[in-house]
Amino acid sequence: MEKGTTKEVSGRNAFRVYATAEQRTGFCEKCGIKTEKQFYMDGERKRVRIICPNCGGQGRLIVKTYSVQPPDAPQCISFRCLYKFVMDTLFCGLLSNYHRRRVAYAGANRHKEILERYRTGEPSPKNIRQAILADVKLAIRRKKWHRHKQ
Amino acid sequence: MAQTQTVTDTGIKELIALWEEAGATGMESIVGLNMATPCTAAVASTFADPADTATHHVGSGLELAAIDAVSHATVNTADDTITFDHVFTATGSINVAGIHVCNNDDDVTFIECCFNAVLAMENTDTLTIDGQSTIDQA
Repeated sequence: MEKGTTKEVSGRNAFRVYATAEQRTGFCEKCGIKTEKQFYMDGERKRVRIICPNCGGQGRLIVKTYSVQPPDAPQCISFRCLYKFVMDTLFCGLLSNYHRRRVAYAGANRHKEILERYRTGEPSPKNIRQAILADVKLAIRRKKWHRHKQ
Repeated sequence: MAQTQTVTDTGIKELIALWEEAGATGMESIVGLNMATPCTAAVASTFADPADTATHHVGSGLELAAIDAVSHATVNTADDTITFDHVFTATGSINVAGIHVCNNDDDVTFIECCFNAVLAMENTDTLTIDGQSTIDQA
């Protein structure tokens, strides 16, 4: 491959995007007043949030999405590099699956009491073992919820 | 489907045109995506043809609007990141599968994001978008 050409860049590794969406009710959780848009500065960053003009509270959180970043491509073909890539990919898949199911579960139960971690996505699993466990626990809750619905 | 997000090919083309001062415009607008099932963000998506069978919302609070706040931040090198914050407020029951972040001419999509799952919004619900894109030299 020629040096200094665009051929050296593949995929979107040099151009990363991170985004989350937080869904809330439009009325303050504490005092029930309609929340309003407010601009504020976070260091140099201009930001916007929805808060209660009366108490500064927020609407009840329904669900927050989670941005899972794909693993970096392997930099060499040694067993160690390839193994790391395979494990990172597996973790990415499991984590994506957990958050997909979590967001759907929290959205479907917007009017019910469910564990806060299913609404916020935090703490998010940090390794393969935690991701499998979190997914299994959520699957059990969803099964109970489906049974209860019937 | 996992949440997917990407800078689109047309977005990169617009960015290069902006560097060239060739009549391009910067990040200015945002719109919600309408689809019954979760979509998958793709680099080939365009403003006119979003991911999968998604379409742009044209009402209920998720329609094309000026982004509330576009700013910059530092991740690796000084000011290497553009940040965008926006709050949608639903004016009726509506499903949202993702977002498009567009230019000021409203004809190019810079960034496409498809959420983990389709979000069912009810009247007065708010959806706060917190996004950033980093040009990474690392």
